[in-house]
Amino acid sequence: MISVKNLTKDFGDRKVLKGITEEIQKGEKVVIIGPSGSGKSTFLRCLNLMETPTSGEIYFDGKEITKLHDKEINLIRRRMGMVFQHFNLFPHLTIKKNITLAPVKLGIMTQEEADKKAAELLKRVGLPDKADDYPASLSGGQKQRIAIARTLAMNPEVILFDEPTSALDPEMVGEVLNLMKQLADEGMTMVVVTHEMGFAKEVASRVMFMADGVVMEQNSPDKFFSNPESPRLKEFLSRVL
Amino acid sequence: MNFAESFRQNFIEEDRWRYLTDGLKTTLIITFFAVIIGMVLGFLVAIIRSTYLRTKRLLIPDILCRIYLTVIRGTPVVVQLLIIYFVIFASVPISKTFVAIIAFGINSGAYVAEIVRGGIMAVDVGQLEAGRSLGLNYRQTMVSIIMPQALKTVLPALANEAIVLLKETSVAGYIAIADITKGGDIIRSQTFSAFMPLIAVALIYLIMVVLLTRLVNLLERRLASNDKR
Ligand SMILES: Nc1ncnc2c1ncn2[C@@H]1O[C@H](COP(=O)(O)OP(=O)(O)O)[C@@H](O)[C@H]1O
Ligand SMILES: [Mg+2]
Repeated sequence: MISVKNLTKDFGDRKVLKGITEEIQKGEKVVIIGPSGSGKSTFLRCLNLMETPTSGEIYFDGKEITKLHDKEINLIRRRMGMVFQHFNLFPHLTIKKNITLAPVKLGIMTQEEADKKAAELLKRVGLPDKADDYPASLSGGQKQRIAIARTLAMNPEVILFDEPTSALDPEMVGEVLNLMKQLADEGMTMVVVTHEMGFAKEVASRVMFMADGVVMEQNSPDKFFSNPESPRLKEFLSRVL
Repeated sequence: MNFAESFRQNFIEEDRWRYLTDGLKTTLIITFFAVIIGMVLGFLVAIIRSTYLRTKRLLIPDILCRIYLTVIRGTPVVVQLLIIYFVIFASVPISKTFVAIIAFGINSGAYVAEIVRGGIMAVDVGQLEAGRSLGLNYRQTMVSIIMPQALKTVLPALANEAIVLLKETSVAGYIAIADITKGGDIIRSQTFSAFMPLIAVALIYLIMVVLLTRLVNLLERRLASNDKR
């Protein structure tokens, strides 16, 4: 579904991604772990072209998306959801409006259809009575669940999660991970940057270790955690597990 | 000469009060339209500047905007008014009030631009990213997500800018516009008494400014209480 060839990204002189070649199949749940600053977010943000790659190609459903015009990029982004560490809910809009804004503005749904969809999604993320509240009145965990609902409203084919639980108080991590597990079980294609090793073990179809701008090692979760090969990964796992 | 006599001489005799009321009307007309021009210009400049800062697009318009801001904020408004009247519109037969509206509008636009740009840049980058990641284009994200938030934070500052402009128009007399300040001065030159007409002018400005400031404070409190929902 997503195919990445020799992807590099520089910020000025700093080479952040140093040549990544990867395939992500439909229905896969790829979990990316690695030390901070290793380029995990940059990699994720290149996939939906929030960052413009310096070189290399990215294919989505067989179509190269790295050389597209803005209009076509916007169309691609509708099909790739993104969930942020800091939720980035729209504070001036109600929860319902947060969810319906994009599908309505983009002419995908009428306000009525979108409202109905929002009600369904709110039920699905376990917050059916919050439609008319504002984001400020929610806890962190609730905010992230709404952010996921907002993404789902676009019916994306893949969702990119960038440390979705890193900004949460520990007692709220579970509710977000549970929702993500639920999505995984329903067959959603997911690329997840996280420090939650339990989630990686349980949900991932593949775990990637990124360090210094490359994918240093990857494997199925059981082998990844029981038989790490590179010293860097061994050292990293010994610190986080 | 006692107070009543002086009052009569300065305001009642020969209907001199008309200098003040006509002047006030001129002042308000200039301020009103200059505020509108300033807002339009200021928002335009602010959007160009913040678009450049956030996306690196619109470099050339951004350079023009920066020149505009530097020149306008780096020179006195009176000098700008004189240049626009005596240099730019020198050979064009045109209403002085119109010239003043243009001059004060262009001047105010620079200050509005910096206020609005500050408001736009104060909106978290994550808001832009969230909008764009949903497939909204830059313009849609600005209109539906960034501007409503920016506007709310800058509204009081914009209202204050309008109040400042009301006072700034008092230099319109430099191009012989009979605004309220000039009106007071004309009375002074006729009656040879400075106290009454000038204090009257000051009081009228003061009352307007105090009332408008009250309104702004009220607005500010309304916006603040909205935030807590
Ligand atoms: N917009 C940017 N401009 C300059 N440097 C950046 C930018 N975004 C990320 N970087 C740098 O790229 C490196 C990798 O960042 P990031 O992808 O966020 O790492 P991670 O998510 O793995 O912590 C970091 O050193 C960071 O400072
Ligand atoms: Mg990161």
